[in-house]
Amino acid sequence: MMWRIDPASDEPLYAQLVTQVRLAVAHGELRPGERLPAARELATSLDLNMHTVLRAYQVLRDDGTVELRRGRGAVVAAAPWPDLAAVERAVADLATAARRAGLSPETTTTLVKEAMSR
Amino acid sequence: MTTTPPDGAPAGHGTDAAWRPRARRATAWSSLAAVILALGAAAIAWSWRDQLPDRVASHWSGSGAPDGFMAPMTFALVAVATTVVLCALFAAIGLFAGASASTRRIAAAGCVWSGGFLAATTLGTLAPQRGLADPSQVELGGSTLLLTLLVPLAPAVLAALLVPGDPSTPATESVPGDAPRAVVRDGERAVWLQRTTGGTGLAVGVVAVLGTAVLAITTGEPTMLVVPAVLALTFVAMFAFTVRVDATGLTVRSTAGWPGTHVPADEVVRASVARVSPLREFGGWGWRIARDGRVGVVLRAGEALLVERTGGRSFTVTVDDAATAAALLNTMADRARGQGVARG
Repeated sequence: MMWRIDPASDEPLYAQLVTQVRLAVAHGELRPGERLPAARELATSLDLNMHTVLRAYQVLRDDGTVELRRGRGAVVAAAPWPDLAAVERAVADLATAARRAGLSPETTTTLVKEAMSR
Repeated sequence: MTTTPPDGAPAGHGTDAAWRPRARRATAWSSLAAVILALGAAAIAWSWRDQLPDRVASHWSGSGAPDGFMAPMTFALVAVATTVVLCALFAAIGLFAGASASTRRIAAAGCVWSGGFLAATTLGTLAPQRGLADPSQVELGGSTLLLTLLVPLAPAVLAALLVPGDPSTPATESVPGDAPRAVVRDGERAVWLQRTTGGTGLAVGVVAVLGTAVLAITTGEPTMLVVPAVLALTFVAMFAFTVRVDATGLTVRSTAGWPGTHVPADEVVRASVARVSPLREFGGWGWRIARDGRVGVVLRAGEALLVERTGGRSFTVTVDDAATAAALLNTMADRARGQGVARG
């Protein structure tokens, strides 16, 4: 899979990795049992500190997305993943509506966060 | 003889023939080394001429007594002639398909191993027959066979290491505009990582390992179990690779750590998706060299990443999601030429 890091983004670097893994798992691009790249390899390729990658893997372990196994690295957990089709349709509709209303991505995200915390 | 560029490749890149003098040099000295090894063994055999019987045992079918005999010097000269024939084969590979340093290394190592193997065969067969009046009961020990196969690996590895690598040859033209690009913002870092494993080739490998193991046991030569062991190691090295595309270019490496290769981003002429037929195009599975010099890590039929490289070289690796890899590699090649086009 493709991994990206945007140093100019407000999102912390480790969080950018976490988001990508969650999305890849949700989209079936990463399947249960699949191994994530070695932290060192990912860090070198993306010009990151290895601790940044390890921190991302820790967060993913804490939320149950991956299991960290000694000698095997980070492996995608066998947890049942929800079907995202409905959510993705709604998000597409939301994006269309937000664009039509002239809302910025930041404002739209804020609205979503607010709705989620209710 | 001109190389045929892969479909769609521009006909020339200026340095297309620059590898030929390198191939000639590597072929010349590796062939010479192999013939010297075989001739050296023949010279030693000649020095033994008074101690050897008139006709020496020269062939065994399985273990036990020999079933073929010939004059000792005929045996030594047949070994020299066989070396010449095998080296001619490896020379053809190096001279006609040696655009990539890895190919020239394989050809040189193969040639030197052949010379060493036939030299070892000559000495290993004749040495135990010195001072014998009747060679009809001479047995060939399994350990002799084993050493004959393994000892020549040392000069072969040395030969491979002595072949110089390809000099850095950055592309002078930009990546064609119609080649796919990845949507990566300026300043954004990206890497594409994918593992690729064997299909049919792996099955062939398992059959070969089991076959040679059964053969070693049924012929009563348990030391020859080293053959399936070496084969098994080869298959472990050859049938799982990680493929990585990042700012440095393309890196393909066996999960066993070796073999591997790297195509620097500035040497990428164009990356694209290809469909590969292993047997028809590459003559098998694993690390392959096609007749036209294309190098490939070919583990199964179907989708592959094809990278055309400066100097008339090309590298193919069968891998899923090759379209993403090709697009990112073209984008990284743009960046390496200082042409980071803002897209997306």
